[in-house]
Amino acid sequence: MSRLRPVVNSKEKLRKLADEELMELVAGNDADAFEIIFERHADAAFSLAYRMCGRRSLAEDVAQEAFLALWRSGTRYDRSRGSVRTWALGIVHNRAVDALRRSGVHERRRVSDEGIEESLEAPERTDAQAIGNAASREIRGALEELPEEQRRVIELAYFGGFTHIEIASMLDTPLGTVKGRMRLGLQKLRGDLHGWEAVGA
Amino acid sequence: MSSRETNRDDCLDIGDAAPYVLGALDDGERYSEHLRTCASCRAEVAELQLVADALPASVAPAVAPESLRDRVLATVRSEAELLHAAGHEADEPPRQPGRWRARRLSLLSTSVAIVATAATIVAIALAIGVSSTTHERVITAQVSPSLPGARASLRQFGGHAELVVSGMRQPRAGMIYEVWVQRGNGSPQPANALFSVNSRGSGSASVPTGLDGVRSVLVTSEPLGGSLHPTSAPVIRVALAA
Repeated sequence: MSRLRPVVNSKEKLRKLADEELMELVAGNDADAFEIIFERHADAAFSLAYRMCGRRSLAEDVAQEAFLALWRSGTRYDRSRGSVRTWALGIVHNRAVDALRRSGVHERRRVSDEGIEESLEAPERTDAQAIGNAASREIRGALEELPEEQRRVIELAYFGGFTHIEIASMLDTPLGTVKGRMRLGLQKLRGDLHGWEAVGA
Repeated sequence: MSSRETNRDDCLDIGDAAPYVLGALDDGERYSEHLRTCASCRAEVAELQLVADALPASVAPAVAPESLRDRVLATVRSEAELLHAAGHEADEPPRQPGRWRARRLSLLSTSVAIVATAATIVAIALAIGVSSTTHERVITAQVSPSLPGARASLRQFGGHAELVVSGMRQPRAGMIYEVWVQRGNGSPQPANALFSVNSRGSGSASVPTGLDGVRSVLVTSEPLGGSLHPTSAPVIRVALAA
């Protein structure tokens, strides 16, 4: 590993660095650099975990596992494959799916039926966050405009942690139809979110 | 499975791309394998992955609880200390020694008395079991009755030792568990290992100081950042053979 770390990394200096530069320091076990990565992404990570798990305690465990995995596998971050935010949220998503699958189908059904409402009522949400940034308004709006049957299978899969076979069985719909709805829904979102990469980066 | 890109639907597996990027494919690994050889599916996945990556932005924003920050950063700081102590980055200037510990020096006098009573407190505890193989030794720890249902053991392999706990209560707010080693009749020394547990009570900590001449390994609850001397009675004690 090359010597990228200057002799002194004050917090102030670190805060000026981009995520990708901080990750190079994290790969060298720099806890201060990691702290800034944590500060930048903890809310988004917890929000996703909470949306998926529906319970604060489980969401907190999932987010904790994900950040420790990110810390311990910092060397595996590859900037050519996306932003640090996307990578971090991908880890959160995987950990949340694992946690949901451990908790069984019944619990997942309960969460996916009640989860959205509970998340929206989260008391710690501030007005500024509720308004959200343009990018998240855009994706939320695009999801809402999808035909219900397409939005449902995408949400059950991505946020609910259900496999396509479980979804087919829950909805009493042929497997091929479920996969087709997922594909159509994602393609439609792809069209709606044209230019998303630029916005999200 | 076609390598032609003109019509992606040539590949019978193209329909698996959407559930794949959503994490909903039962046999995702098989499909990952397939992607290595199918350009059509690779193109489809690349396109749909961008959409899946955008989905987290649609969730209602919540603020991460302070306890998440405390737990994650305490673990990360302690692991960074271990790695520095272990000399994994010997080419770097050493950190200020005991930067966050020095302020707790004043607790020295009270802690000596507390440690003196520690043996009595943890003596009311579980039986000690030692099992050993040629490569690994597992020693069951004594756990204070103040932690009903908690279990702990020390795994030794090679020159490495790891403390594994389960059923432990989470440290109180602003506190963390700290590991100590005790040699001979000396007072407990920091093992440079701090840990917390998840909501199911599981956790682990490496003991980087090594166990040469160590008579017992102790765990106490300490303020975040750890202490230089124990400030509370041990809740876990592992007695090592002399």
